[in-house]
Amino acid sequence: MAEADADVCFKKDTVSKLLSSFFTEDKTKLGGDAALLMAEMLQIFVKEAAVRSQKQAESEDCDQVDIEHFEKILPQLLMDF
Amino acid sequence: MSSDPNETRQRLKAAVHYTVGRLCQKTGQDLRVEFSRQVIAAITETTYRQCDIFAKDLEAFARHAKRSTVSVEDVKLLARRSKALSNYIQNKSEELTQEQKELKKKSTGKRKSKDIEEESRE
Repeated sequence: MAEADADVCFKKDTVSKLLSSFFTEDKTKLGGDAALLMAEMLQIFVKEAAVRSQKQAESEDCDQVDIEHFEKILPQLLMDF
Repeated sequence: MSSDPNETRQRLKAAVHYTVGRLCQKTGQDLRVEFSRQVIAAITETTYRQCDIFAKDLEAFARHAKRSTVSVEDVKLLARRSKALSNYIQNKSEELTQEQKELKKKSTGKRKSKDIEEESRE
């Protein structure tokens, strides 16, 4: 992949639509800056999930991250966010 | 985007799945660790559901401040649980405002110089 070095991030529109789809009231809107900041927040969430799972796999001497590794780090991950 | 809510949801999930996949790949490439497809799907599902919680919180924060638009302040409040995270989000938001100030100042000048650059390339 050529653009693997570039910073991978969620698109602003995706975040905006994603969050808007969960709002309970129709009149609630998401500000532009807030959407950008939420994209950053979600990126951190996914990165944390990936890095923690990877560390768990590493501590068990596995070279593939499997669902059991993710399951082990999930409770703490959810408590941190 | 489609008006069918179910299809919209599928498309949003697909978009999240794509970014999660790339982020995992990027995380694993230094140590040559691979993430199984199941893990990527699970992280996607978790992120999607976490978004539900985030969105409801943001909405409540905005309503508490008697606003109908979610602002940067609400996002900062969302990141309150972890000190490191809230510092990071604080810095990012300052960066954003700084960038926008510069954009506003230079917007006319920058656009002109970009146009000139593109023209000279052609």
